Amino acid sequence: MKTLSRWARIAGTGISFAAFGIGGLVLALVCFPLLRIGARSAREREQRAQYLVHLAFRLHVRLMEWMGVCTVSVRGAERLREPGGQLIVANHPTLIDVVLIGSLMPQLDCLVKTEAWRNPFMRGVVNAAGYVPNDLGEAVVEACAARLREGRSLLLFPEGTRSMKGGELGVFHRGAAHVALRSGHPIRPLVIDCHPRFLTRGQHWYDVPDRPMGFSIEVGDPIDPRKLTREDESRGVASRKLTAALRDFYQARLYPAAGRGAGDAFQGRDLQMGHRPDEDGIPFPR
Amino acid sequence: MKTEFHFRDEDLRLTTLLVDDLDLDSIDAVDLAVRVEEKTGLSLTEADLKSIRTIQDIVDLIDERL
Repeated sequence: MKTLSRWARIAGTGISFAAFGIGGLVLALVCFPLLRIGARSAREREQRAQYLVHLAFRLHVRLMEWMGVCTVSVRGAERLREPGGQLIVANHPTLIDVVLIGSLMPQLDCLVKTEAWRNPFMRGVVNAAGYVPNDLGEAVVEACAARLREGRSLLLFPEGTRSMKGGELGVFHRGAAHVALRSGHPIRPLVIDCHPRFLTRGQHWYDVPDRPMGFSIEVGDPIDPRKLTREDESRGVASRKLTAALRDFYQARLYPAAGRGAGDAFQGRDLQMGHRPDEDGIPFPR
Repeated sequence: MKTEFHFRDEDLRLTTLLVDDLDLDSIDAVDLAVRVEEKTGLSLTEADLKSIRTIQDIVDLIDERL
């Protein structure tokens, strides 16, 4: 029985991938052209496309749950619907994180790798939704900050790519911190945990585990960059501090036993960083 | 380098690699270039920045231009 259900889930996983690709094409070829009718501005077109992506992702999550591929529980989802643009930051354990997060937010801008514009299944969607391509060099920070200033929510993965197979956090890049510092928006951290691990980097899609992937997503309290940095600091220093604090936060949430020290460090920083001279050196996000 | 990024003296040697050892990113590179320009009055091109790998490269570049 167990093996039977595993085969069913392998099939379900395959169907999920196919549905994602076909869904992308249908959206691009049928739905988005229709949405353009009556849209007065590029912005309105993009908002409509993003809303449709949200509905498609919701459907996709339902489908995966129904087929027993995964289960999803979310704590604090309503906080994602607070008005105004939010800078959403998340760890990135699996391939479908963006689908899960997108299913929770009716409007969400994403930073997407440029290859997506060359992928036939994704090109139509990333174009219509007006996502930010990641090949703008340092102009990417301003492009992201501009979205937030317009009141749009934006999702960034500080790891830049999926975590390694074992689930340990990758290197945190400082782009998200730079966006927060430039726009003045607090960081809204999402903690994504997944057991058993599957669809991680370097895993085959058919290595389906013996039970559904159990996702738990926690919508954390906002992290205010102004509380962790000083005005007179260079952005080089401020972005390093903020990124280190963010990584400590994730380390403590995901590995509470191992990361106790790191968690304490984050709490300490939260309270004191504004006043503490830091000749003790800044831990680099490695 | 110390004020802009709070690096420690012992981490800064002529052979230190900016990206691999000090973890400078593209934004840091721009900030560093602005600092060098302010201090020396030189103007650096993007090609100049791309040619820099180590602290020695920065020294050489300034030396060459002044």
